[in-house]
Amino acid sequence: MRIKDQFREGLITNNPVLVQQIGMCATMAITTSLFNGIGMGLSVLVILTCCNVVIAAIRKIIPGEIRLAIFVVVIAGFVTIVDLLLQAFVPALSESLGVFIPLIVVNCIIIGRAEAFCQKNTVKASFIDGIAQGLGYTGVLVSMCFFRELLGAGRFGGGLIDISNGFRFTLDGSGGGIRIFAEDYGAKILTMPFGGFLTLGFLIALMQYALKKSAKKKQLEAEAEADKEKEAAEE
Amino acid sequence: MKKDSTGALIFKLGIILLLVCAVVAGVLGVVNEITADRIYQQKREKTFAAYSAVLPAAEYEEVGFDKSQFGTVDIIEKADGGEGYVVQTTFSGAQGMITMVVGVKESGSKYTCSGISIISHSETSGLGAVAASSSEKGESFRSSFIGKDKNIKIADIDAISGATITSKAVTEAVATAIKAVESIA
Repeated sequence: MRIKDQFREGLITNNPVLVQQIGMCATMAITTSLFNGIGMGLSVLVILTCCNVVIAAIRKIIPGEIRLAIFVVVIAGFVTIVDLLLQAFVPALSESLGVFIPLIVVNCIIIGRAEAFCQKNTVKASFIDGIAQGLGYTGVLVSMCFFRELLGAGRFGGGLIDISNGFRFTLDGSGGGIRIFAEDYGAKILTMPFGGFLTLGFLIALMQYALKKSAKKKQLEAEAEADKEKEAAEE
Repeated sequence: MKKDSTGALIFKLGIILLLVCAVVAGVLGVVNEITADRIYQQKREKTFAAYSAVLPAAEYEEVGFDKSQFGTVDIIEKADGGEGYVVQTTFSGAQGMITMVVGVKESGSKYTCSGISIISHSETSGLGAVAASSSEKGESFRSSFIGKDKNIKIADIDAISGATITSKAVTEAVATAIKAVESIA
């Protein structure tokens, strides 16, 4: 499989959240500020890539009967490593994501990719798949954070950007973000779990619409091509 | 090829699983070794910052209390210099457990709250979470506890609209913390 195709699949046509519709719980729970979204997305990206590589590397020596148990052990191992590292070096993120980091163990994106992709593909392809799917996941998180934070709290880049003292990035989660309008005028409901469902629903609808449209366009092109060939043949 | 008997197969699978787990556990041990000190340090700094915010002192020393009487109180520490106590308490809010530090100031035989600081919570964002936020409303909610005694009621404080349960729970926890300090002093 070509690298370009793998990236297109991970980001768009086979996006883990919007098309495969897996790993949605954390997606809805944590996407309330850009800081959370990017932090969670990158954590999943790192864990997914590491797990993919290890599982693809040992795919031939693990017996089929206990493969799921081994996948879970490998995933839990990497998740715990990331969890400990975050607690030690980025405590603000660890606190803000809370239980959702340990819960990556049971995030179906990771076990889903292990089962559906890594156990049949090479280490290199699995590595690319981890990055592509991880980026696809991060992309969805970031766009959900963008809408929920903007419409719900009236700001952009909460925790990540600070402009009170000139523009700078705050990696410790202390930044206040860029205020677009006063917090009191925001649609608070969007920052609550219900708003997560709503935003995700709209994004999935949009994605399905775009995919259908591009599939239709491709079909029309194929038909036009076929007509042309037919005409050419008739002549 | 000779097929393994069921027993031998189970044994083989068990050994493989054991090996995988052992490798993972070994790696985790190494990572834990590297991060444990830092994590402990982070937690300690955070608690110290919360203590200093409610009742500044150079050192805090843990004191014993009757846990059976004050179930929600975790730790009581005496501030160095004897001007009061800090109480760490964990109680149930509207959505989940709230961990909070309450400063209790001693003047004569009267005990009053010198400030509160919420360490962790899982209250609803925009409503109960205001209690812990750095917003104007959050600050005024927390500072309204300063100077209150053990008979504090929700009407005495600047409660958060839309978060009655959270406001009530925090008020009760402050009253309990003051009572707990009185019981040992």
